[in-house]
Amino acid sequence: MDYGDKEIGAKDLLVVFLRAFLIQTSWSFERMQSLGFAYAIEPILRKLYPDQMEYESRMKLHMSYFNTQPYLASFILGGVVRLEQDRASGRNTAADVQGLKDALMAPLGALGDSFFWGALKPLAAVVATALLMLGSWWAPLLFLVIYNSWHVGLRCAVLFWGFANGGDAVDLLARYRFTRMAKLFKVISLTVLGGILGTMPAWRPELKPAIDMPGLLLALSGMAFTLTLIVVLRRGSSPVKLMLGLAVFCLALAFAGVIK
Amino acid sequence: MSLFDSHMILAIIGTAIVGGFIGLDRTAAGQFMISQPIVAGPLTGWMLGDPTAGIVIGAVLELIWVVDMPVGAFVPANSTISTVSATAIAALGSHGVAPLPVIGFSLLLTTAMVPMTMMADNVVRKMNSRQADATAIFSREDEGRTLARAHLSGLALFYLKSFVLCLVFLPIGITAVALFSRLPENFHRAMSLFVKLLPLLGAALIVRKLSMKMIDLFLLTGFMIAAVLGQIFHVPAFIVILLTIMGGWLGARYSGLRR
Repeated sequence: MDYGDKEIGAKDLLVVFLRAFLIQTSWSFERMQSLGFAYAIEPILRKLYPDQMEYESRMKLHMSYFNTQPYLASFILGGVVRLEQDRASGRNTAADVQGLKDALMAPLGALGDSFFWGALKPLAAVVATALLMLGSWWAPLLFLVIYNSWHVGLRCAVLFWGFANGGDAVDLLARYRFTRMAKLFKVISLTVLGGILGTMPAWRPELKPAIDMPGLLLALSGMAFTLTLIVVLRRGSSPVKLMLGLAVFCLALAFAGVIK
Repeated sequence: MSLFDSHMILAIIGTAIVGGFIGLDRTAAGQFMISQPIVAGPLTGWMLGDPTAGIVIGAVLELIWVVDMPVGAFVPANSTISTVSATAIAALGSHGVAPLPVIGFSLLLTTAMVPMTMMADNVVRKMNSRQADATAIFSREDEGRTLARAHLSGLALFYLKSFVLCLVFLPIGITAVALFSRLPENFHRAMSLFVKLLPLLGAALIVRKLSMKMIDLFLLTGFMIAAVLGQIFHVPAFIVILLTIMGGWLGARYSGLRR
């Protein structure tokens, strides 16, 4: 059957892909990404619904509350585009578009947060910071390459995947094992972090403690100090309070004559 | 010579303009991570002629803030403004290459400013709510344009937030650096040590977030690999880091995590 101008092609999806980079532009506490979602999908609705009343009603639907991890929102966008296409072309007039959004936003939010913010970002940051602290000026570029090869690649892939399977999350999870990858990334981040502490004597001169002691002993001291800070952190201190506390500690050492 | 001559004022305005654009990447547009301290710091430092200050500040703040996540409605500390401001305060306050104590003092100053940046982030999000309400009244002619206007006005709000914060923080910070340089030597020594201890605090914050264990086996394994290879066998540090990555991958594989 020929559905004519109710057919969504790669060019239309590319527009959604580009607009999805602005999904959080008007992020607010009440409606979070609702305007961003409607903005990303608006060209599709305009194409699918030439009737003004129907277009308006679909726009209003997509401006309801929406919030998920911004990168995985592309998967939901892909699925929604597919359902809207099926609905507008008459292939599936009962398509529950809102139901799909409601069902996916919370689980994909949790999954995306733990993968992108909790695993990929720390991994890219820890590897790049390790190299930067050892004197590699190009480490920030490496950070951008590591992070964005996943970020942009996945954003594009899940949008098209969501469109292809109509937003089937089970299919998504079978294809991309986010939880397993997150665990792997966290383990690598921790070992590289250990590596940063172990290479302390080779840090840039601005960051290397100016203490006259053998390299191995310096690294062990750094590790011991870090473990002490972890113990303090477990008692519930915030980063800001700890930074201020550390400054007071340094001032006390300076005025006590411990550091020259 | 006046602290705020025309060159300084232009540099402050220029930094605020660039800071505004870098800040957009944080939430409003793209999220390509240009706004992360490890990128924003060296970029600001390079722009102001002091890449070393940017590298040091970027590396330290990256470790400290990387695991502060924007989950749900939580708005994390604005590490972008902290990084751009700290680097600019250090570079401009030193009229050239910032000495280590000034870098430490700039980091301390911007840490104290973190609650203000979080407050500003909250204000922008509340203002965005009003824009969302405005779209409820569609003009009959072009709903798409009304939506786009309301939605994209968020770009202006997020930009203005970063621009104004930089414009406020920089003169305050540069004045404070001028006063700091007159303080006794002990303050300078303390700030030098402060910079050198901050990466350890950053490491502790990341371990605390990524691992539930008090002493994490993977952290210790990475440390052992680096300490033994680097300090006993004198393997170049770059190779040591590559080996810790491999060690982590193998550790995950054989500890059953990848199953």
